[in-house]
Amino acid sequence: MITELLNNHILSSIFAVVSTIALFQLTAVFQRKLNAIWLQPMLISILAIIAILLWQDISFESYFSSSWLLNALLEPAVVALGFPLYQHLETITKQWKSIILVLLFGAFIAIVSSFVITMLLIGDYSIAVALSLKSVTTPIAIAIAGQLDGNTAITAFAIILAGFFGALVGPPWLRFIKVKSPKAQGLAIGAASHAIGTATVSNISYEHAAYSSLALIVSAVITALLSPFIINFLATLF
Amino acid sequence: MMLVIYGLDSWLLKPPMKANKDTVSVITFKQKTFNVLYSIFAIFSCLALGKLCSYFAPILPGSLYGLIIFTLTLHFRLFNADRIKSSVMWCLKHMGVCFVPAGVGIINHFELIKQFGIAIVAITFVTTFLLLTVVGLHYQRYAVDDE
Repeated sequence: MITELLNNHILSSIFAVVSTIALFQLTAVFQRKLNAIWLQPMLISILAIIAILLWQDISFESYFSSSWLLNALLEPAVVALGFPLYQHLETITKQWKSIILVLLFGAFIAIVSSFVITMLLIGDYSIAVALSLKSVTTPIAIAIAGQLDGNTAITAFAIILAGFFGALVGPPWLRFIKVKSPKAQGLAIGAASHAIGTATVSNISYEHAAYSSLALIVSAVITALLSPFIINFLATLF
Repeated sequence: MMLVIYGLDSWLLKPPMKANKDTVSVITFKQKTFNVLYSIFAIFSCLALGKLCSYFAPILPGSLYGLIIFTLTLHFRLFNADRIKSSVMWCLKHMGVCFVPAGVGIINHFELIKQFGIAIVAITFVTTFLLLTVVGLHYQRYAVDDE
């Protein structure tokens, strides 16, 4: 029945979008009711949809082209993140130097550690490039990966992984290591888990959203500017 | 389009806004419609400008330029933040669903995952934790120094 439905483009678009949203909202309701953090709506709906696609033998391409509407909303959603940033612009301009310094250091550590560990464990340059860009928001990371001959498919995969790790275990981990200020938490999660992390912590508090979107933008810019130099230098060592 | 439908839906279902000292206490149906359309116009015009920027200076993708432009236009009061606030807050709360189709894309890379999956997951896990820890701890220390 589902396969028949997918043959009609308009119907299948409506079906894919509505069922994705329904799944997402349903999980969100359960998460709130049961108070369970691991019931992350994004993760659960992705897993459920993968299961449905495999079960009904539907190709990813047909699902993806049917759900184009949700994908088209990604860009305006990123723009909307400018609002929390605007609301905290005053505090942010006061701490301009420390924020840049911390994120610069963070981006440097992220690129170097991922690249070196991957070269030692897997020994493949294109995967190493892909993994060293995983903390950056998808559009930027894909662009840089292409530029540096990285594997873009693995980049996209690692970005989602990093996003989920940070979004799911980030807040409890940060609390565990006694990083309790919402600013520091937001900044760390935005730097490590880009838009997925930002979307998740936006629910916790407004300050989280602001600092997370700030870290998302600033570290994306920093990585875009830094990574060609660092990676070209490190590549000569291996 | 989806934003419009969603926006309409959200304020049709919600109880009327609570009275706020700073803003007008009663917001009519017409004003709400206007605010939703106004927010959509604001976001999409910033996105369009951002795309233009990335065409001429391809350092960042259009959506990130759009984000920066959106922040600046709000800061310099080219757009009225009070009108935009409720719709944007609603978008932020529900934006996670937009990432689902891209995430499902993992199923296209089964082969690569079979080969290097565990190593990739382990490296991503470790370095993400490292980054979280470094940024979190350092910022907390600097922030304490600032105040």
